[in-house]
Amino acid sequence: MKPVNEFLIQDEQVFSGAVSCRGCGWSLLARHLSSILGPNTVYVLPASCFSIITGPYPLNELKASVVHTLFAAAPATATGVRAALDRQGKKDTTVCIMAGDGGTFDIGLQALSGAAARGENILYVVNDNGAYMNTGIQTSTATPYGAVTTTNPGTGYKKSWPKDLMGIIAAHNLPYAATCSLAFLEDFRAKVKRARDTEGFRLLMVDGPCPPGHKIEPGDAIHVARLAVEARLFPLYEIERQHYKLSYKPDAYLPVEECLKYQGRFRHLFQEGNRQMLEDIQEHVDRHWRKLEALEKLHMEEEVTDKKAGYFI
Amino acid sequence: MTTETILKGTAPGKHRPAARYPRHRQLILKGNYAAAEAARLCRVGFVPAYPITPQTTIVERLAEMVAQGEMDARYVNMDSEHSAFAAALGASLGGERVFTATAGQGLFYAHEVLHAIAHFRLPVVIANVGRPSIPWNIWSDQSDSLAQRDTGWIQFYGESSQEVLDTVIQSYLLAEQLNIPVMVVLDAFYQSHTSENVWVPDIGLVDEFLPRRVPGPMSIDVANPKSFGGLVPPEHYNKMNYTYWRDAVQVAERAEQNAAGFARLFGRGYHNVEAVNIGPHTKLVLVTLSSITSTARGVIQKYPDVGLLKLRLFKPFPKASVQEALKELHKEAVLAPIERNFLGDREGAIFQEMQRALYGNPFRMYDFYAGAGGKDVSPETIEKIIYLARNHPKDVNWVDIA
Repeated sequence: MKPVNEFLIQDEQVFSGAVSCRGCGWSLLARHLSSILGPNTVYVLPASCFSIITGPYPLNELKASVVHTLFAAAPATATGVRAALDRQGKKDTTVCIMAGDGGTFDIGLQALSGAAARGENILYVVNDNGAYMNTGIQTSTATPYGAVTTTNPGTGYKKSWPKDLMGIIAAHNLPYAATCSLAFLEDFRAKVKRARDTEGFRLLMVDGPCPPGHKIEPGDAIHVARLAVEARLFPLYEIERQHYKLSYKPDAYLPVEECLKYQGRFRHLFQEGNRQMLEDIQEHVDRHWRKLEALEKLHMEEEVTDKKAGYFI
Repeated sequence: MTTETILKGTAPGKHRPAARYPRHRQLILKGNYAAAEAARLCRVGFVPAYPITPQTTIVERLAEMVAQGEMDARYVNMDSEHSAFAAALGASLGGERVFTATAGQGLFYAHEVLHAIAHFRLPVVIANVGRPSIPWNIWSDQSDSLAQRDTGWIQFYGESSQEVLDTVIQSYLLAEQLNIPVMVVLDAFYQSHTSENVWVPDIGLVDEFLPRRVPGPMSIDVANPKSFGGLVPPEHYNKMNYTYWRDAVQVAERAEQNAAGFARLFGRGYHNVEAVNIGPHTKLVLVTLSSITSTARGVIQKYPDVGLLKLRLFKPFPKASVQEALKELHKEAVLAPIERNFLGDREGAIFQEMQRALYGNPFRMYDFYAGAGGKDVSPETIEKIIYLARNHPKDVNWVDIA
């Protein structure tokens, strides 16, 4: 057992009693995030699981100010909060949005794009658990291909591919965006620190384990999150002004089914006659990985050119 | 038109009377510029903006004033009215004085956020330039704001650009006293794009009337963390609504007190409602909002037994003020609301509210739909309404239908 002073979290910024499900990623995410951002933070939460987890009135799990706002409006609300703080000279206060994938990929996308394009000084953290979990596992545009949800039930499983949010975000030319996994905590924490210390609009997308939604055992949540990274289903990378950099390259090639088989939402993929779907997912994942590698390579080449030109950021 | 032209003003010369209002300048302003001037005079600190006809020149003018340093505010080009109002919510929660403007579809789009701003008890003030819903129509109509009457916002309707400017100033005081947001409504084009003489007060005079906003317990304070807006259980939600109601029922009286204080400082008085030629001799009372009032004022001069009830405060509906204004009216008298709105019901919004305010009173009331979608309510239209109201009217009448 490690001595106390070697725990990653030295300064706990949440109270006990969060009402998340067992194995939920949100609580772990919030603990680590808040321990790095500290109390000089205003959190802005659209409708999401976390809005509930952090506490119904009059409770507040976070030891910082929290504004619960409308589903579509977190980036816009945060814009107003940021403006007020700036006008009052509180430029060192962090404004941090914590949103789910529904509030980010779907209903909140326009407001997100607006705030990102304006370069608002806001940190946006999206916990991507691949469906509207708070309302009971309905399909979002983050829901993976092949997954079963309550609005894509049974053989009506999702037959379209999820949106490439990070690609959309990269197109906004942000100073910093990154994907994170709760199975890679030191990488996650380093990215939070990097995001905290960057000015402008920053976005972190975290792979969110959701035992009830993914139909996994709570005890397997972090293991499945790790497998998602190892199988390249959820690659870890950073994007700085459209320059991609992979944070983790798995040593061995792990087929996607090694991760998907733990998740009840994909159970039908392993039934007879559905092998092709698994192959389609594998092909999609491999192609996305090759794209990320190519983008990273482009970044390295550009870095050399930019340095020569003297305008590398 | 350049800013210079807009703001040059008309210097008092020998052909003009000496300044009617001390510590004012008389300018020729379109209604939209009067609304923007009011926001500047109130030292608004945050303006989230999104364009929509016929409001656009309000946010354009504000952008200009901020860019030129005439106004110390943060101005943000938002991505929609929904976002503009959500940003207003965030900044107001952060303790800033916030202003924005919208119209028609923009107000409809912001509907969800209107409720949120009201129930967060935030003293946001906006100008709405009334226009109706799609099929596209950009002309004068009050269906947009009247459809938002149940969002919890206070609503004032300005008859003139002067009244719009003065009402915005009074609205910040009222909003910040009661923590209830205010919508000041002006008519599309008839007001928004029509130039009038407007007396613009010196900012120092406005400062005497309107103190700086003091952040309250419902403001973000980083040193004293709080959570706002999280899931509220039924008992608490019910009580929050009770405390809101307790403040909402004070609006009419506070608005009258504030208007009296305004009159003492600025020399111009307003009331929640205005009664013109209403007494025991009056046989017919036209009930109006906004610029239709001015037309009716002129027309009734030819009709000694026709009066006019102008509603300036519409929400919460000033029941007591209406009853007071009509107290000398003979029981045989007839009331005729003129509706520049259509909300899908048999009677228009003004009729509905008037019936509620006058329940148990003997007056007969006939409703007159006129002027939806910007159709001109001319003096002739008003005369037709007077004629119809006196000669076997239907319960509900549509005037000037071709």
